[in-house]
Amino acid sequence: MSFLEVLNAKGWYFLGRLLEGLPWTVASFVCSLAFALVFGLFVALLRLSPWRLLRIPAVTYIEFFRGTPALVQVFVIYFGLPDIGFQPSPFQAAVVGLGLNGAAYLSEIYRAGIEAIHRGQMEASLSLGMTPARAMRYIILPQAIRTMLPPMTNFAIVLLKDTAIIFAVGVSELMSNARELVTETLQSAVVYVMVGVIYLCMTIPMARIAARLERSKQAWQ
Amino acid sequence: MLQLPSIYAEYIHRWLPELLYYCLATLAITGVSFILAVAIGLFFALCRTSRYRLLQTIAIVYIEIARGLPIVVILYIVYFAPPQIWPGDWKWFTTFLGAVIGLGIHGGAILAEVFRSGIEALHKGQREAALTLGMTPAKAMMYIILPQAMRIVLPPVGNYTIGLLKDTALCSLIGANELMNDAKSIAFADYQPMAVFVLVAAIYFAMSYPLSLGVRYMEARMSVGR
Repeated sequence: MSFLEVLNAKGWYFLGRLLEGLPWTVASFVCSLAFALVFGLFVALLRLSPWRLLRIPAVTYIEFFRGTPALVQVFVIYFGLPDIGFQPSPFQAAVVGLGLNGAAYLSEIYRAGIEAIHRGQMEASLSLGMTPARAMRYIILPQAIRTMLPPMTNFAIVLLKDTAIIFAVGVSELMSNARELVTETLQSAVVYVMVGVIYLCMTIPMARIAARLERSKQAWQ
Repeated sequence: MLQLPSIYAEYIHRWLPELLYYCLATLAITGVSFILAVAIGLFFALCRTSRYRLLQTIAIVYIEIARGLPIVVILYIVYFAPPQIWPGDWKWFTTFLGAVIGLGIHGGAILAEVFRSGIEALHKGQREAALTLGMTPAKAMMYIILPQAMRIVLPPVGNYTIGLLKDTALCSLIGANELMNDAKSIAFADYQPMAVFVLVAAIYFAMSYPLSLGVRYMEARMSVGR
């Protein structure tokens, strides 16, 4: 049977089976994004701290997690942690692995955003009697968000695409369902192309949003 | 409690030579797919910046699709789909070829955008001056625009290369013989996943960190001239 005949005959069935994996893809994306957003900010603040003792671990963390493949990190967590007596579920391992990986990238986005705010802003807040923490919370970060939003959206796109690797530790997301379906029906071409289209339906709109944010930022500046 | 030093003391003489051997495969995949990505990227960057609507549209469609797909999905489509669509003798289509073509398709889209921004960053006067001097558009592109654009795009191309090196780990998912694939087989054969995967992470880091230092050096040098 040709590609189109298979698509015509089995397309809806395949789509239904594939979409069963979508909630897991979305859940791992959202959870690891949240993890990376929170932990990345923490790392960025350490990285920007005036104390060397805090900066060094942050720099080491960023360099190491940006210098190694996300797949290896997820494997260390899923297959490695049981060696020290802790067995995470596939989903936990995926979220923590992608989250730790993403936090390293996000912390650099946070840092660039914070450093782009003029130093006078911090000095003015301090001279008004704010503590450094309050100044960061109420003066610096709200302004920095504007510069950070476009690169963060791009980061989110990369993260969404990275969730396609976590079937390797057994999360039953899109890609994992696709592989099962291929084992059952041997229709690799149709199934994997359909998976590709599903990913494109998510990533292309996100890329549009990122481009629009980028333009509005330029207009604002 | 896991005693990493004693595990390494026991196994490293077996693990390290084997892993380093498969590093060569990782580097080979990186090198060949880099060349392929540069060729594809250059082609679509030229299409994207051309005057012809049709070429522009083709380039935009290619870039959007190849950038929007996860690399794993590209690898799976490239490696598993063709033999199914056109049945026949596919023994020559090795995992290495699948890996290289898949990464090349993805990298081509990334580099097309990088090259385009490099070409567009040059002042239009450069091209106009070249045309005024009697060069054909192709000659102006070849001898005036591209050599200057190459200089501008060096740091982002470097960053792409670092990403590519790490992305080769994904080729293990289609069974390509490279570092990560070998690490998996050692880890589960010797029941030492933690020790092996941490070692492999260190090896990837040892390969990517010098590259990222090089990129930082280039970025620092380039910002001096501005």
